[in-house]
Amino acid sequence: MSMNERAADTLVIGGGLVGAAVAYGLLRAGESVTVLDEGDVALRASRGNFGLVWVQSKGDKMHEYARWTRGSADLWPEFAGLLAQDGGIDPDYSKPGGIHFMLSEEDLEKKRAQLHRLHNSLEGQEYGAEIIDREQLDAMLPGLGPDVVGASWSPHDGHASPLRLMRGLHSAIAAKGGRYVADAKAEKVERDGSGYVVRTAKGAFRGDKVVLAAGHGNKWLAPSVGLDVPLRPEKGQIIVTERVRPLIPMPTHVMRQTAEGTIMVGDSHEDTGYSDASTSSVVSDIAKHAVRCFPALGQLRVVRTWGAVRVLSLDGFPIYQESATHPGAFSINCHSGVTLAGAHALALAPMIARGRLDASLDAFHSRRFEHATAH
Amino acid sequence: MSDHVDLIIIGAGPAGMSAAIAASRQGLSIVVLDEQARPGGQIWRNVEQRRDGALSTVLGRDYAAGAELVDRFRACPADYRAEASVWHIDEGQGTGGGKVFYLKDHQARVLEGRCILLATGAQERPPAFPGWTLPGVMGIGAAQVTLKSGGQIPDGPVWIAGCGPLAYLYAMQLRRAGGTIAGFLDTTPPGRLLPNFFAFLQAMLFQPAPMLKGVAWQLALRCTVPWVPHVAALTADGGDRLKTLTYTTTGGKPVTVEAAHLLVHEGIVPGTHPTLMLGCEQAWSDAQDCFAPKLDEWGETSLPGIFVAGDAGGIAGAQAARLRGELAAVAIMRRLKPSAVAERDAVKRLRSRLSRIIAGRAFLDRYFRPREAACLPPDDTVICRCEGVTAAQIRALTTNGLGDPNMVKAFTRAGMGPCQGRQCGYGVARLTAEITGTHAATVGLYRARPPLKPITLGELAVLDKQRTEA
Repeated sequence: MSMNERAADTLVIGGGLVGAAVAYGLLRAGESVTVLDEGDVALRASRGNFGLVWVQSKGDKMHEYARWTRGSADLWPEFAGLLAQDGGIDPDYSKPGGIHFMLSEEDLEKKRAQLHRLHNSLEGQEYGAEIIDREQLDAMLPGLGPDVVGASWSPHDGHASPLRLMRGLHSAIAAKGGRYVADAKAEKVERDGSGYVVRTAKGAFRGDKVVLAAGHGNKWLAPSVGLDVPLRPEKGQIIVTERVRPLIPMPTHVMRQTAEGTIMVGDSHEDTGYSDASTSSVVSDIAKHAVRCFPALGQLRVVRTWGAVRVLSLDGFPIYQESATHPGAFSINCHSGVTLAGAHALALAPMIARGRLDASLDAFHSRRFEHATAH
Repeated sequence: MSDHVDLIIIGAGPAGMSAAIAASRQGLSIVVLDEQARPGGQIWRNVEQRRDGALSTVLGRDYAAGAELVDRFRACPADYRAEASVWHIDEGQGTGGGKVFYLKDHQARVLEGRCILLATGAQERPPAFPGWTLPGVMGIGAAQVTLKSGGQIPDGPVWIAGCGPLAYLYAMQLRRAGGTIAGFLDTTPPGRLLPNFFAFLQAMLFQPAPMLKGVAWQLALRCTVPWVPHVAALTADGGDRLKTLTYTTTGGKPVTVEAAHLLVHEGIVPGTHPTLMLGCEQAWSDAQDCFAPKLDEWGETSLPGIFVAGDAGGIAGAQAARLRGELAAVAIMRRLKPSAVAERDAVKRLRSRLSRIIAGRAFLDRYFRPREAACLPPDDTVICRCEGVTAAQIRALTTNGLGDPNMVKAFTRAGMGPCQGRQCGYGVARLTAEITGTHAATVGLYRARPPLKPITLGELAVLDKQRTEA
């Protein structure tokens, strides 16, 4: 196989939200980067993203994740600005705060306890989420259904357009001189002196470092660089309505109004293997829940429903790691490609550029699964 | 009792009705779902209501003849459910048939069938020229719907631009209904007859009656309305509604005329949304310049127990649709009731009649094949009307090796509006092919997603999986 001319400092395998954010960050750090993307047959978990930049209730069982997520949300305003500046495309980010509806007193109490735990986990950094009652909620979000008893609210939550973020990242990568190769599914990663060669349908590519950001593809690629990446697929379903006047002033965990005016409704968790077809019963349950929370939505026409396969590790938390046997080979997996885009571009990528992950990311190594079983 | 039937037929046009009549003769339990209030499909829309009225004189004898099939369909034992719009189909995981989700009286319902026949028809090839989205510009198919349902015709002189049988038929119907044609801009490119003369003779031989009728329409129109042949480019202007249109003939200079109504037509293509959504394999038809689901000789798709009949499987017209509906019924019957045997001679007769129609069709496909400019419009043409995306915006996506309609959709929002890409699917495929230097056949269409037909979030919410129907 012939070698594709230029060698890069870093090869990024995967052009989804995760790979593109890291590639952009590496370019910002002054590296030369080649992104190797699979064709459109890829599962494209990025397109199934709901678009929340969400902090509240994340990381209850892993405090490092709570901190990492909050850190990403804090980086998002800067990140969105840089992206608009470098790529010319605004990802429509806003941070009006976010709401998680509670439909029973019992749930409300559980949430209160969870927020207390998370608050304590952040070591002094103010967590900022609080429980609000129905009366406060009505003042913020009129028109809720009778079943909503209260909510948790966090000022750090926001939302962005996943599609514009994706486009913005690709545009910024091009503007920064990054190289993007489509239809180049990585078939093999091999050692090449001190660097790596990635063999693809479009030829072989060489880089000093390699970052596996291929979503589910990492499972098959990782062993060649001495890493183990246990993942499971999870299907998420999303419904999008027609465009309407501003109805929902802030994102909630089950629905958000986009900058275009459509309303996205989502939040389902099914373990269906690697199929991304829409399933009517689940879509109906999502619709039911949304209308229960916000009855006015019942009148809106559905424009599109779709399913996408999320990428989950066994415990649901991200995996960030460098291979012990193959220095310079990194693997990244997470399911919150939008929320964590800020951290991936502005915190993780600089570490990869330096050639070492900070100790603060140790907890995300896949060695944490060595004694665990899948659930 | 859960609602399980042998066969669910979607669409009560020529193909759906014929299949229902044939399959119910064999004692299969059949439900026919159709979104219109009365059977007939697009071609015989409202034919029951128009039986003896003056309008059937306007619409012609072929239209009136549909009443006979509608009568037989009404009399057959199939359970016909009108005003039922199918918004989703779940295939049965390879076991055959599947679940059909539909909306009737604002109620979401589910029906399970051992086989499903999609007789969902065709759609007009979407127009694509600068200004086509202006009020006052309309597809001939849509204009014909208003004529058939309410007897309405545009108020004032009408410009017609396009080619193909439907354009000439509508022009004739419009004149009979008392309408005025300001001019007919025929977009058939020059020099089409000679290279296709053999196909012409073949069509004359196999389909003499419809061919002669078509020739007669053209002659009548050429003699009685201002006729402009070989129109190669078209632009509609007027700010908030159509005021003028500019046309250019092959080798000619642009001519601008005043216009209040412009009806356009560049032929019809199979409606592929249901089969695309199901994931049935599609094949590019070079002859018809469009995609159609891959079908076996009985109309079965790549998914077991899912059949397509009529124009949804490739354009061949109403008579062919009836035969293809009957052939599908035979295959479905064999599949579900192996004990019953179909008459081999009857199948032979169906096939031979069908092949004569298909042989006659080749000429129409070649002669009226849309000109290249109708598919690859100039930059200022709106491609996706729902989201207001122009050809220029799509052509701007050349960077970074993007070359897939779903990527174009994700990046420009083209195809994300309420029509779900039915209008812009081919436009985006063509432009993507132009950008990437490939062919629309390899580029493909957008992935289709439910709902196939409008449904509100509230209607979706009350869909009950366990719900039983009477």
